[in-house]
Amino acid sequence: MPPSIHPVDLVAALRQKHLTPAIVFLTSRRACDEAMEVFNHIDLVLPPTRQEAIALALERITAQHPSITEHPLIPIVQRIGVAAHHAGHLPTWKIAIEELMRQGLLDAVFATTTLAAGVDFPARTVVITQSSIRKSRDFTDLTIGEVQQISGRAGRRGKDHVGFAIVTPSPYIDLTVLTKGFTGQPEAIHSQFTISYPMVLNLLKAHPHEHIQGILAKSFAQFQLNQRAELLEQKLDALHVQMEPFGPRVCTDWITQWHTFDHARRHRHTRHQTHREESPEITARLPFLTPGRVVGLGRGRGIVLRQYRSKGQKNSMLTILRSESAVTECPVTSVKEVFDRTYDCAETPTYPWCSTETFDRLSHQLEDLPSRVPVLPILVSTDVEPLPDAVVQSLGDFPCPTCPSRSACQKDFTTASRLRQEQQRHTKSIQALRTSLWHRFQERVEVLQKFGYLTLTTQLTSEGEWARLIRIDHSLLITELIRAEAFTGGDPSLLAGILASLAHDDDRPGAFPRISTGLSSLLGQVRKLAESLAPYEDPPLLRADVAALVERWVADPTLTWIGLCRLTTMAEGDIYRLLARTLEFLSQVQALKSTHPGLAESASQAITLIRRGVLEELP
Amino acid sequence: MTTDELEQLLARQPVALLHRLARGRVHRHFRTGKRRLIELLLQHSSHNRAGFESDLQALIGEQHPRSESKSPRIHRPAAIAPKKASSRGAEPASDETAVSLSAWLEGLGVPAPQPFVPDPWQSEALSTLNDTDVVISVPTGSGKTYVAVEAARRAMEDNRSVIYTSPLKALSNTKYTEFSRIFGADNVGILTGDRQENGHAPLLIMTTEILRNLLYDAASGEIDVRLDTLGLVILDESQYLADPERGVVWEETIIFCPAQARLLLLSASIGNPQDIADWLTSIRSTTCRLVRHSKRTVPLRAGYLHPNGKLVPLFNTLGIPHGHPNQLHPEAKHLFLEYEEETLPSGRPRR
Repeated sequence: MPPSIHPVDLVAALRQKHLTPAIVFLTSRRACDEAMEVFNHIDLVLPPTRQEAIALALERITAQHPSITEHPLIPIVQRIGVAAHHAGHLPTWKIAIEELMRQGLLDAVFATTTLAAGVDFPARTVVITQSSIRKSRDFTDLTIGEVQQISGRAGRRGKDHVGFAIVTPSPYIDLTVLTKGFTGQPEAIHSQFTISYPMVLNLLKAHPHEHIQGILAKSFAQFQLNQRAELLEQKLDALHVQMEPFGPRVCTDWITQWHTFDHARRHRHTRHQTHREESPEITARLPFLTPGRVVGLGRGRGIVLRQYRSKGQKNSMLTILRSESAVTECPVTSVKEVFDRTYDCAETPTYPWCSTETFDRLSHQLEDLPSRVPVLPILVSTDVEPLPDAVVQSLGDFPCPTCPSRSACQKDFTTASRLRQEQQRHTKSIQALRTSLWHRFQERVEVLQKFGYLTLTTQLTSEGEWARLIRIDHSLLITELIRAEAFTGGDPSLLAGILASLAHDDDRPGAFPRISTGLSSLLGQVRKLAESLAPYEDPPLLRADVAALVERWVADPTLTWIGLCRLTTMAEGDIYRLLARTLEFLSQVQALKSTHPGLAESASQAITLIRRGVLEELP
Repeated sequence: MTTDELEQLLARQPVALLHRLARGRVHRHFRTGKRRLIELLLQHSSHNRAGFESDLQALIGEQHPRSESKSPRIHRPAAIAPKKASSRGAEPASDETAVSLSAWLEGLGVPAPQPFVPDPWQSEALSTLNDTDVVISVPTGSGKTYVAVEAARRAMEDNRSVIYTSPLKALSNTKYTEFSRIFGADNVGILTGDRQENGHAPLLIMTTEILRNLLYDAASGEIDVRLDTLGLVILDESQYLADPERGVVWEETIIFCPAQARLLLLSASIGNPQDIADWLTSIRSTTCRLVRHSKRTVPLRAGYLHPNGKLVPLFNTLGIPHGHPNQLHPEAKHLFLEYEEETLPSGRPRR
């Protein structure tokens, strides 16, 4: 079985069941184009009357939009009545196809799901071939809203009794995503409010700083944050009710009291544990058993090389140098006597725990030791070692051990303290929800003050006055470039090239037209600046190929649209969108007439130069 | 059915029925008491009220005949029976009742031309717009444009100007052509990033970004005359409010929209249109009404086309079984399983 239905079979099947006209949503532009290829060699031709109707309608459209007169798909559209419609096509072509669909002249249009929202024409049937959609580099499952948006194209008001959404599988389709999409409720939408630099400047231009918090509070973002905060407040209220039995007892804040008491108690407990193993006599000796100390063992004497603790032993251990340079390990309990004599010992971290010279010297000194050496008098306190002062003090302050509600406190403590922790957590998050927008605004204000667009009293500086007119992505980078006088040359093609690389946010690879030295060095500067601004603003892609492409189009007025398309592997539609976005950015720069006349002039020159050929046809 | 009614209805049911209802809906439902169970069920049903209610009705319907025939002698089998029935209960229509292809394809064709009569929701939206802002959330293709056109016509008859915004330049252009045809070229203007035509017409079409910029300029003192007489702002495709990059523009536009202008938000079906209406009410001087309906004007049917060219209905009901994603047509289910078996590389775990 084929992995998915052949486009020709699909169209044939739809025709046979009278399910045309149909929109077929495919995974990629390439899939759409390949489907068109297939129809090139196929005899599924329409009856001549319909062919003529399509030809006639196409003629009318091409008269308006001459750029598509030579479109390679026209023969297929005319003969077979199918077409491709995706973002890689020129807008004029898409308009033509939409017009043909509206007149009901086509049988099937192959489109990409990415454009489902922009496809503004209905059909009797939509065909869905996949359950995921490409969203910035990754494929994600279609949401319920998206499935319904797609299937919403099925069924034309006044022209169909019913609309049909037909699923036909392709590899890796997940049917449950689609069935859920058909039958489910669309997802709730969430605010995507972000605070941009131009927004801050424009707000501060029109409103005093102290009013801004009120304005931000009017956003849908804050509305939804408040909803979440209210939910938390309800939880908080419920917690208050649950906390009631754990109200004030003998002490008002018994939870904290018990907490510290309990902590101190446990702390003391662990201290005891470590010391329990050794008798007072041994403990008293430990401080004296340092490297170089002469000790008496059951048989003979030795010199301590190190004292250490070993996991398997309950007592501290010693490494001891014995006669004839023997090194032995033994527990401190095997030390019978501690003599009042020490030798210098240069310690090392590895065996034999002292330097070689020391070792040799100590061996000699051990041999030469007089037979009687005075024993060190060690005082042994029979009392238990006192607790550290801090613990004693803290325990002394506690009324708990004698308190009448002690047992109740002990019993309730775990629940009560958990509830109280939850309470504190909720209170904190409620506060964060209520003030997060304002904090983000303040952060932006600080950055703008740092760069000198705002005064310390949050008034717009002269720089801020014009910078607020740049209301596009990467506004900080653009205004900083203007301030650094990066575009002083006044060359419209350079300006357009740089703005194009800022405006283009698509990462589909394109071929590399030759880039002029002026542009490439300028682009290098822009890249450096963008990197230095990275902490304050996400850097743009800054693709050199799109910059070169736009530069070429502006610099060379004789270049035709076909010629431009040949320079790169980018699709026509993408080039068109790139130029349109660049125009948008240029028109923002053009608005700086009063402060930067030279720059605005070259922007308007660039705009006139860009708007020719295909770009003139459509607004 | 309101939530209160539903709660009372649930409270009247025996706890066994509630547990059956909770199967697959509530995690570890068998450990909860009746009151808590009702609470959990209500919580769950907020996502899919229609499906929940129909399941409940099906279960109640099942309950009654059995309780009549119940006798002490066959007590044991009766206690087991609900288990079997419940798996049915979640999917009321069984294999035998699955819709046939011919029935599914029936009704295909072109309806006779009828004089245009606005749908009740359309008239409702228009009459509400006289007094309040309106949010419309209806499925794609139910005729939002009609409301926009009529609302614009009424505003223009009152000598108030109208701004219509759409998210895409291409859509703006389409609407420009369409509205020029309806109102006459003199009455319609367009403003996009790089196109300005007939900028002083009473009905202006623009992208939402342009309107936002206009509002900012007006707020900072560079008064734009058009905003004084602005009577209506129509924001098409308002579900763009949730667009990660551009959603903020819609919020700004709505926040700064002049108080004297009515707002008309047109949106495709979304999950929480009431939130948007509540939000508008909370920030604007007038209240905001929500007009929502989920029924499509042209009913939809879903089908499954196998790669070998065989066409079968996708669901075992004629229309879309809302709230029952698992009511697949047995044949579609079978064909798709076969398809998965053949196309999935061996060893790849099935989802």
